[in-house]
Amino acid sequence: MTFLGMPLLRSTRHDDQEIPGGQGNIVEDESFAKVSHQHLSNQQLRNNIGHATATIRDKRSEVVAELDDWEALREAGSRAKNQVMENLPEYLAQFEKNFTAAGGVIHWARDADEANAIVTELVEANAPVLESGRREVIKVKSMATQEIGLNEHLETQDIDAFETDLAELIVQLGDDKPSHILVPAIHRNRDEIRDIFMEKMPDAGELTNEPAVLAEAARRHLRHKFLTTKVAISGANFGIADTGTLGVVESEGNGRMCLTLPETLITVMGIEKLLPGFDDLEVFLQLLPRSSTGERMNPYTSFWTGTTPGDGPQNVHLVLLDNGRTRALADEHGRSALNCIRCSACMNVCPVYERTGGHAYGSTYPGPIGAILSPLMTGVEAEENGSLPYASSLCGACYDVCPVKINIPEILVHLRGEDVEANHSPVSSQLDTALTGASWMMSDGKRMAAAESGLPIAHAVAGDKQINSLPGIAGAWTSSRDIPALPEKSFRQLWAENEARAEGEDDER
Amino acid sequence: MTDTAREEILGRINQALGRRGGGEYVSSASGTVPAASSSATGHAGSHEGTEENTDPGPPAAGGGTVNQSAEYLRTGTHTGEDLIELLIDRLEDYKANVHRVSGDPAKTIAGLLDAGSNIVVPRGLDDSWLQSFTGEISVDAPGQELSILELDSQAAVVTASAVAIAQTGTIVLDGSPECGRRAITLVPDHHVCIVRVADIVDIVPEGIARLTPDAALTFISGPSATSDIELKRVEGVHGPRTLDVVIVDT
Repeated sequence: MTFLGMPLLRSTRHDDQEIPGGQGNIVEDESFAKVSHQHLSNQQLRNNIGHATATIRDKRSEVVAELDDWEALREAGSRAKNQVMENLPEYLAQFEKNFTAAGGVIHWARDADEANAIVTELVEANAPVLESGRREVIKVKSMATQEIGLNEHLETQDIDAFETDLAELIVQLGDDKPSHILVPAIHRNRDEIRDIFMEKMPDAGELTNEPAVLAEAARRHLRHKFLTTKVAISGANFGIADTGTLGVVESEGNGRMCLTLPETLITVMGIEKLLPGFDDLEVFLQLLPRSSTGERMNPYTSFWTGTTPGDGPQNVHLVLLDNGRTRALADEHGRSALNCIRCSACMNVCPVYERTGGHAYGSTYPGPIGAILSPLMTGVEAEENGSLPYASSLCGACYDVCPVKINIPEILVHLRGEDVEANHSPVSSQLDTALTGASWMMSDGKRMAAAESGLPIAHAVAGDKQINSLPGIAGAWTSSRDIPALPEKSFRQLWAENEARAEGEDDER
Repeated sequence: MTDTAREEILGRINQALGRRGGGEYVSSASGTVPAASSSATGHAGSHEGTEENTDPGPPAAGGGTVNQSAEYLRTGTHTGEDLIELLIDRLEDYKANVHRVSGDPAKTIAGLLDAGSNIVVPRGLDDSWLQSFTGEISVDAPGQELSILELDSQAAVVTASAVAIAQTGTIVLDGSPECGRRAITLVPDHHVCIVRVADIVDIVPEGIARLTPDAALTFISGPSATSDIELKRVEGVHGPRTLDVVIVDT
């Protein structure tokens, strides 16, 4: 039995010489509590996200309920990923051998800067300079390239990266940031999307807010780019060790376009994305689509093994990315966070995410999984990432829906413990003192009654209004919560009066 | 640069896993870790850890797959007409048009294509399937590939398929001569795909068991779609916007 809220797990890290943390878009600039406050007051954002997450929650529940063996599939998924993590060097070597034998080229990147430099070099070697003096690449939605800030880096190297996923396109055209790993524009409704398209797609003409019309506009906007661009950049959902195969799971066909039509394909994939065998797809191709978009199967899934003669890009590269993954792996209690297959089910059920949206997490990886993954990859002591493990009510809904059974609440609690050890602050010392006091008071009925006898006085002072701020350390509590107006009497006092009245009534009988 | 990075990353992983020196695996998963830490993995996780202690070599020698002993379903229960009905139901649910043909499918296929239009087919497609079609047929073959712009001017593509998974309404193309290379089923806006009854399986594991990734594989479940606007599924984005599936008994 786990007692949530009590950090019981002692640190067991395997890095005597510290393994460096990751860089890029996984570091929060300000604490979660501070940023989330701004987003909470945006009613439009809350409506959009509330509507979207409710829709996807229902769809997921329906298709998961169709499978009698769902729990066995989750167990199998969890086991396969644990197996990968425990034997990662062997699986990486096996994957490298098979992918290379099939004509692919593998590059290793220790961090975001190194990965960005490798991709830039490959683009410069394979994409022509256009009349504008710049190079162009098309991109499939990829969390790894978002994490390393690839588009921003390419921009500085005179390379324009065109996002081709509809939601990424909405984000890119709106000069915005993704707020959800599956639907990066989940914070935008159809009216906002229409306005962005009307402003940023000069050839689009008059558009309505119908999703079908907006999808059609995206098709026309990107068609020429798909048919003519020489270099594409993708991520990968899976790397299969025993065959050297990569896979991308998608809906729109933009993935197929990028993976098939260009001459050069550059894929960026985290080292943890491996599966042991091709047969393991029989589990993951059931877990991922049902957890992710709530579909029995997503419209398109592509697999490629190095190069295929006469079919698709003949110049195929893979950048294997660390960027803090080994740091996360070193934490025995946190390493299962690396099992994540980026389905986003945990976001859709999270009461905190539903209210703050994804931007408040300040990382490419928002929501419950982001609240553990980001600090595990950077270390809790990095910047404000130590605040992320507190962005949770520990309700456990995320664990229930996770297709690979990552025990997110338990890792959150573990990381809170790490944070207290690493960044032991005056606030937590005050809290310790206050809790010790409360424990003394609450352990004895007389002390409790004595404390409550002050309530009528407090009510007289505060009146019937709710309390919006308290002084001192209690101010941290009220900075994001309101306390209801104080009652005139405590429950004990009401009970005593009620008992007395009942006795009186009995006497009258 | 890259070689150094490779060695360094593998070194970090070994360190993170608590291995010392030449790959020796010092696991604490076999007893010293509090029980709570393996609750996400269950007993199977710690069992594997124990096995690794006795056999630190490359994992799962042979196949590499670790799911063979799991309890999830490996075969479905639908057979015969039920199986075909399930596939049709699931394909239609995802907005594919389904046509069931007993006997010669040539007339049905021709009926799905505009008379006199131009279509592309892979070199291995059964000729008899197109004998009722009156338009122009381009055969895409090694050394005689249509360019991307030529593919863009085709009204439709007609191919066979390797496997169809009924439970999920999924059709798999495997790059064989009758499925063709990937671009021909991607660029034209209309895909007519022939599924043989013998190639229909019930559930995903049965489908995967029939495939190998030697060539590129494409799994198709309905026409191109997106759920990116308010999470509503809308058919018709970049891939073919019309998917006609012809199920043939032969």
